[in-house]
Parts: sequence; C-alpha cells; structure tokens
Amino acid sequence: MRTRQFVITVSVGLVLSTVWAQTGAKPAAGQSLPVPASSASADALLNGGPGAWSQIAVKHVALNRTPPLYDTDEPAPPEIPSLDVRAARSGGKLLFQLSWHDPTRDAVTLAEVPNTPPETRFRKVPTEADDRFFDAAAVMFPEKSDINTIAPSLQMGDAEHPVEIYYWNATRGAMVMQAQGRSTTKRTGKPFPASSSYQNDRWNVIFELPDLAAGTTVAFAVWNGSQKDRDGRKYFSVWQVLE
Amino acid sequence: MSKHQYAMVMDLNKCLGCQTCTIACKKLWTDRDGTGYMYWNNVETRPGLGYPRQWDRIGGGWKDGLLQPSPLPTMDDYGHAWEYNYEQRLYEGKKQPVMPSPEPESGVNWDEDVGSMNEDENYFFYLPRICNHCTHPACLEACPRKAIYKRDEDGIVVIDQERCQGYRYCIKACPYKKIYFNEVTGKSEKCIFCYPRLEKGQVNACAAQCPGRLRFVGILDDPESPVHKLVLVHKIALPLFPEKGTQPNVFYVPPFNPPKRDNYGKSIQEDPRVPLDYLIYLFGPEVKDVIVRLEAELKKTQEGGRSEALQLLIGRDAETRYRVRPQLVQIQL
Ligand code: SF4
Ligand code: SF4
Repeated sequence: MRTRQFVITVSVGLVLSTVWAQTGAKPAAGQSLPVPASSASADALLNGGPGAWSQIAVKHVALNRTPPLYDTDEPAPPEIPSLDVRAARSGGKLLFQLSWHDPTRDAVTLAEVPNTPPETRFRKVPTEADDRFFDAAAVMFPEKSDINTIAPSLQMGDAEHPVEIYYWNATRGAMVMQAQGRSTTKRTGKPFPASSSYQNDRWNVIFELPDLAAGTTVAFAVWNGSQKDRDGRKYFSVWQVLE
Repeated sequence: MSKHQYAMVMDLNKCLGCQTCTIACKKLWTDRDGTGYMYWNNVETRPGLGYPRQWDRIGGGWKDGLLQPSPLPTMDDYGHAWEYNYEQRLYEGKKQPVMPSPEPESGVNWDEDVGSMNEDENYFFYLPRICNHCTHPACLEACPRKAIYKRDEDGIVVIDQERCQGYRYCIKACPYKKIYFNEVTGKSEKCIFCYPRLEKGQVNACAAQCPGRLRFVGILDDPESPVHKLVLVHKIALPLFPEKGTQPNVFYVPPFNPPKRDNYGKSIQEDPRVPLDYLIYLFGPEVKDVIVRLEAELKKTQEGGRSEALQLLIGRDAETRYRVRPQLVQIQL
C-alpha cells in the first residue's frame, strides 16, 4: 500500500512538471528569443541577404522529430537537429530568418496554369510527378496573444486557443493558415511576404509577420521533402517566448 | 455505416474491352489541368499488369484491423502522357513517321490483350475498375485531415477538396489504388460514383455509355434493385480481392467461359478456360460456388427452363439494369 501511494505521488509530480513545461507559463531562460529592433527596413530584412541580418544574434533552436504517426509510415531518422533563428522588429513588422542544414533541396517550379478554362484548351497542364514532397517551414503563434494565458497546445493549438500558422513551402509559396487543434488546419487563402534561398546545403528563409508583442510564444517547424514529410510528419520546436 | 449503399455489378462475360466507359468518365470528370493521367474508370486486361502497374501487389487495405503499408505508385507506374510530332509531319514537311514522345513505356492498358501468354492456349478477359465505395474504406481511415467521407444517404465515398491537403495517405491506404494525386491543385481526387447524375435520376456515365450493357446499378439494400438480386439473392457476383478487408461495393460476375474443348457434357470447373486459381486469386475461394450456381442456371435454360438470374444478366433494357431514381434514396427498405 505504501509503495503504491509513493508511485502515485511521483507520477502526479511528473505529469505536473510536464504540463508546466508545455504551457510555457514560466519558460526556461533558454526558451526566450531576443527580438532587437533593426535599423534595416523590413524590406531590406526580407530581401537583404546576410548583410541586413549580420548584426542580429543567432538563436539555435533544438528541433524534435515527431514520433511515428502511423504504423504504415516508413521510418525517418532525425536528420535536421536544429534551426538557426534570428528575429527582428522593423517598421511595425516582425521578421524571422530561419536557416537550417538540409542536403537535399526538395523544390520544383510547377508549370504555370493558364488563365483560361481547361475545357477551352487542347493541352492541359500535366501532373509531372505524384510521389514527391517539398521542403517547408512554418512559424506558429497563438491567435489571441494574451501573454498571461497559458500557451496553446503545440499540436496546432486547441479549441480555446486557436493558432495562426505562417507556412512557407519551397514549391507552393507562402500562405497563412489557421488551426484549432490537430487536423483542423485550414488555408485562409492569404499569402504573406517571404523570401528564400538555398546555398551550401542550407535553406535560408525569411518570414515577415505582423508585429507580435513581447511575451508572445512562437514555435517553429521544418518539413524535409526527401523524408516524405507532410502533415504532422515533420521537425518541430517547443514554444519560444519573444523578448 | 451509411444508411443506404449504392452498388455496381459488372458482368465480366460481357465486357468488350472497348474503353467507352473509360472515355465517358474521362471526358466528364478528368478533363482538367493535372488530371491527364487519371482514369477514375479504367479497363485492364487480365492477367496483366493493370493500372497503375502491379497495383494488386503494392499494398494497402486492412489486415487484422490494421492498415497495411504501401508505397506510392510513381508516374512511371501510371505511364507518362505522350504527344505525337504531327506538326513536323503535317506542316513542316519533314518526312518523319508520326512518333510519340516521350517514348511510351507504360500506360493505362499497356499490356492490352496480351493475356496469360500461355503456350498452349492464351486466355484473357477485361476487368473494368472504378472506386469500390467500400463499406470499410481504408482511404477514409488513413486521412489525417478527415477530408474523405462516406455519404450517409448513399454510401458514396468522396474527398472534400477544401479540406484535402494532398498528403496522399489515402493513396497509400487504398488497396485498389483508386485515388489519384493532382499535382497542379495539390489535392487528391477520386471517382464520385457520378453522384450528381444519380441525384438527377441518371445512371453513372460509365454504365450509361457501356455498349456491352454489363453494368448494373442500384441500392444494395433495395430488394427491387438488380444489384440486390445479383449479389444477395442469386449470389453470383463477388467483390475483387475481398481479403483486402475494405468490403467493396462493386461486384463482378466472374468470367464464365465455356470449357476449352467443345465438350458439352463437361463442367467448366473440369476444363476451365481461365484457370480457377487465377479466379480465386481475384475473387476469393467463393468464386467456385458462384461458378457452380451459374452452371446450374445455364443447365436450367439448356433444358428448356427459365433462369431469372440469366434473364437479369442479359439486361435487355435500362429498367432492368438500373434502379437509380432519386426517390429511391428515400424509400423505406
Ligand atoms: S476503393 Fe479505395 S478509394 Fe475507393 S472507397 Fe475503397 S479504399 Fe477508398
Ligand atoms: S464500356 Fe462496357 S464493354 Fe466497353 S470496356 Fe467499358 S465496361 Fe467493357
């Protein structure tokens, strides 16, 4: 009996500490993300390459591989352990520079679809391949960024804590999405400014977000196309708190 | 489980391999950007590779209640679209023969009429295929977005194009490989059992156009429908690969060819034209009972009797073959 009580106490303690860590109500010092104001303009940051960002310190954010979601999935070894993040405010915008090592560039240029209805054309745009997936990255933050509430679930938020997701795909471009829990993500149809380059086996992607208050939590994700990443099959960070 | 279930029966003894059904479907539903390689309805020669090639061996479906792993078929498996050099031949005066490009290496019925390549006596038959609108659809189960749903009123399985994100778990899960990825839209597409036509009281385009008149359409649980009679009363139609566990709602009357050598007294099972093992591979062991039943019906008519089952299979008119009037959906069954 005594042993059993002991076990229960310990496991409750464990659960509580896990919840504590997940909510981000009191983030560890290592989980805060410095956001200096930049003297460069938002446009320069978005398009300026390394020069515009060189003054800003890099934060190494650890990435986790999602556990296998389906028994039928091929295994995917963790290939992208971390993400280099820089954040800056400029002209009422919040910009992130995400950079990570990925030896395969999984992106193509899809054929442009003419602006005329397909039935009026003899030749239709073909599907070139059906089995490829593309590199992608995302920044997620709570839609209601009341910094005193607990952070939403890392799994795309939840009903009370909807999230906004700024998603960039190496082939399909940048789009804003919303979600209220796993499998609820929907495209808003809105694009957002983003730029990307791939050099020396590294992606360097710049996201332009609306300004978010200090104390807001943000999380990052990276998808590796060659590992057939899509959906929850990806790399993700825990919540980071903007300084 | 849906309240009612539309079903189709195809009598393989009557299929001509003319592909009229394929074209009817293609022109109606898959004539848009990105759908070039898609055939929601295809007719393949059996034995043969099928489309996508070797689909019956790739994987998917259920085993012991678990989804089975499967790779995604590639475009090489479906066959890349090709064009002909008509301009050069017809307008530029170049004396080249008309040639396809890129060089075709696979296609939707690539090994048409090749058959068993049996030295003694070749055999083959045609197998038209659409999505089976399964009762236990592996595709639906596999979709993490819940973008696939089975319509409660008629059991038709459809993909919500708003919710689909093109993850393709459904394609991997379907053991019949009857979902296709449209790279242009970034979403998956599949046969919709012509529900917009059914709702207007018109039968599926593939069935309406079929000159072989081998397709029967109706609601499985409607005792008046031909599919109910063929599948549940006469029990002479079986689903394809029942062991894949999805409980298909497309059923086939197996090819019931006469004995190889003209010996009237002989049972088809004694001297089968299509080896029984191959039919068991396609339709499961129950195919033997179906052949016994079909033989008994045939005998009845040969002895001057009347067989309701065979009369139905002849399917003289649309009233016999289809029961799709929209009010059928509301009938009390
Ligand atoms: S045949 Fe395939 S696509 Fe059609 S319902 Fe069954 S599992 Fe889904
Ligand atoms: S139209 Fe009918 S006869 Fe022709 S291939 Fe299709 S199912 Fe067979």
